[in-house]
Amino acid sequence: MFKQIKDLAGGEFYLILSLLIFMAFFILVTVYLLKMNKQHLVEMSNLPISEPQNNGYEEV
Amino acid sequence: MQLEKFTYDNKIVRNFGIASVVWGIIGMLVGLIVAMQLYKPELNMGNQYTTFGRIRPLHTNAVIFAFVGNAIFMGVYYSLQRLLKTRMFSNVLSNIHFWGWQLIIVSAVITLPLGITSSHEYAELEWPIDIAITLIWVVFGINMFGTIIKRRERHLYVAIWFYIATFVTIAVLHIVNSFQLPISFLKSYYVFAGVQDALVQWWYGHNAVAFFLTTPYLGMMYYFLPKMANRPVYSYKLSILHFWSLIFIYIWAGPHHLLYTSLPGWAQSLGVVFSIMLIAPSWGGMINGLLTLRGAWDKVREDVTLKFMVVALTAYGMATFEGPMLSLKQINGIAHFTDWIVAHVHVGALGWNGFLTFGILYWLIPRIYKTELYSKKLAGFHFWIGTLGILFYAIPMYWAGFTQGLMWKEFTSEGLLKYANFLTTTLQIIPMHILRSIGGALYLIGAIAMTYNLAKTMLKGKLVANEEAEAMPLAKVVVDEDAADRKWHRILERKPMKFMVLSLIVILIGGMVEMMPTFTIESNVPTIASVKPYTPLELEGRDLYIREGCVNCHSQTIRPFRSETERYGEYSKAGEFVYDHPFLWGSKRTGPDLHRIGGKYSNAWHYNHMMDPTSMSPGSIMPPYPWLIAQKLDVSQTPAKIRAMQTLGVPYRENFDAVAVAKLNAQAETIAEDLKQNNIQVKSDREIIALIAYLQRLGTDIKANKTTIPSNQ
Repeated sequence: MFKQIKDLAGGEFYLILSLLIFMAFFILVTVYLLKMNKQHLVEMSNLPISEPQNNGYEEV
Repeated sequence: MQLEKFTYDNKIVRNFGIASVVWGIIGMLVGLIVAMQLYKPELNMGNQYTTFGRIRPLHTNAVIFAFVGNAIFMGVYYSLQRLLKTRMFSNVLSNIHFWGWQLIIVSAVITLPLGITSSHEYAELEWPIDIAITLIWVVFGINMFGTIIKRRERHLYVAIWFYIATFVTIAVLHIVNSFQLPISFLKSYYVFAGVQDALVQWWYGHNAVAFFLTTPYLGMMYYFLPKMANRPVYSYKLSILHFWSLIFIYIWAGPHHLLYTSLPGWAQSLGVVFSIMLIAPSWGGMINGLLTLRGAWDKVREDVTLKFMVVALTAYGMATFEGPMLSLKQINGIAHFTDWIVAHVHVGALGWNGFLTFGILYWLIPRIYKTELYSKKLAGFHFWIGTLGILFYAIPMYWAGFTQGLMWKEFTSEGLLKYANFLTTTLQIIPMHILRSIGGALYLIGAIAMTYNLAKTMLKGKLVANEEAEAMPLAKVVVDEDAADRKWHRILERKPMKFMVLSLIVILIGGMVEMMPTFTIESNVPTIASVKPYTPLELEGRDLYIREGCVNCHSQTIRPFRSETERYGEYSKAGEFVYDHPFLWGSKRTGPDLHRIGGKYSNAWHYNHMMDPTSMSPGSIMPPYPWLIAQKLDVSQTPAKIRAMQTLGVPYRENFDAVAVAKLNAQAETIAEDLKQNNIQVKSDREIIALIAYLQRLGTDIKANKTTIPSNQ
């Protein structure tokens, strides 16, 4: 299966370029995730359920 | 600061909900009819307006843009208001959005059966409707961003990111895939041709699945699932990672729809690699959804809405695992063009989109009507019959796809195709097609039961059209209370426009890396000297091929497999399609590939075959096309079509448009004369003549210089 990736008649440049873009993108996202504030995350994830339930029969 | 009182607009939510249900039933019904036509072609009622090629696009458009589309707007309008603690930006825009969208759907219902189609899959609607879609989409965007701007909640919850990404990406996809040159009010040609057109179309097609059927639904999942289970999402961090990686990776994967075609090899490889990477963010979403229910699984037993959500997420997980698998060239070689793909998309459509929509409807309608669901038992029945329907649909289709894919490739020990007659492989899977339609019928019965249940619920309660709410206003100037507030993503969450631009950049990267070289570097589409433009008659015949939707069952691209070159002839080259506006490669082989059909049979064979396919191929499931013989070919547009093609770069000689009709008539006379020799009396001005001319031309050009064919691989 590797011959499909190896023999690209000059198209390797695009593959290498996309690999680099991909790596850069994920390093950025990872750094950002690691630096996130924990308390803020809790606040954000509680957003949908923090509003009052509006139906009488619902359990809260 | 004082608490502010305001109201949520529930009426618009209800309207989109009803529209989704009504169009859903219609779309599924049309789906059932087309499924049954595949084993009983007479179900087209002998009518051109209800024949498979024309109404299969009606089914796909109805379920994607009408059923799912309206469900998206229902979910977005409900959750956006509550997550931002404000009413929608403008009632007027909400109503324009609602009625505009329904008008677009009605225009699709009218034009598609009439054969007015651009032929790009899931983008069949002609240019005036494309413009209407753009305008209504902008109205939706203004309404959404207006709401975001006047919000009372500082940060944007992850669901809203998904909505923003949906808005931006669909706008880009729709506009780029609608670059058409109008010829008349309801006819146009795509600006791109052949390989380039194929690349644009499947960049669109794949990402329509991503950003219409997936991202808005993930957004809805992130809002409604925590609401239903009454617990926060499992991991907010995961949702962020999942969001950015999903929108970044998805956009690259389009070329996996074009494996083994004449698309440059490096672009195919890119498509494969990114498709495999796509498992990670897709499963990130599924896992985040399912783990949100941790400790609440007892509720799943009680609560029918959660049951629907669990099956929806499971179906999403299965479809997004299968997608990357199908992108592997070895698997794709067997699965592509077969029912396997139909099974794959229906696991997504019926399971993920359908069940998530049903779950939300069962949860939402009683709430905005301040009542309880009319019958929980009936909803339970819907869940089980729907699940059974999915199984009865998907399993036979997998079976059929696998069977047919292998039969196409099977050789005898003498080295000949075991099933040289394509029809044998079609007839082999008829029982599976019958089972599939039973599955579809079960699913539809469930949807009808839901409609009854929801209607009864609505009658029992009363719509709270304007639901009262209160919240603290947002301080005009945002003061950063602590250092963490100045972190860039925290700022991004507060600044929707910047957020939109960033997501736009992220989704543009993949598309650009793939498309720019194919469009700008000539070596990516090698030309072939003997490939010449179509004659005026062939061009008209091609437009009939488009009108009748032949592309829905017949591909026009031969893959470089021995099993295909043996069956159809020389494999397809990029240079053969340079005058094909639009490309007509197709995505499904219900019938055989037609790229090398030219010269294979006589004109008389084609005539008889179109009159009654079973006369030439006993047992054929292709419907007869008698109207092509009854109807006169409309040549009033021919000169305009030639001029349009010249504008697009097709090298007809100067002033060719002036003599086009005369040339057309002359060629038509020759074909009519040839038919006469074979005892077929038909006037030369009939549509069938043009169609025969086109079919006889297909794939014949390269035979003129066989020694100089450039290879793509």
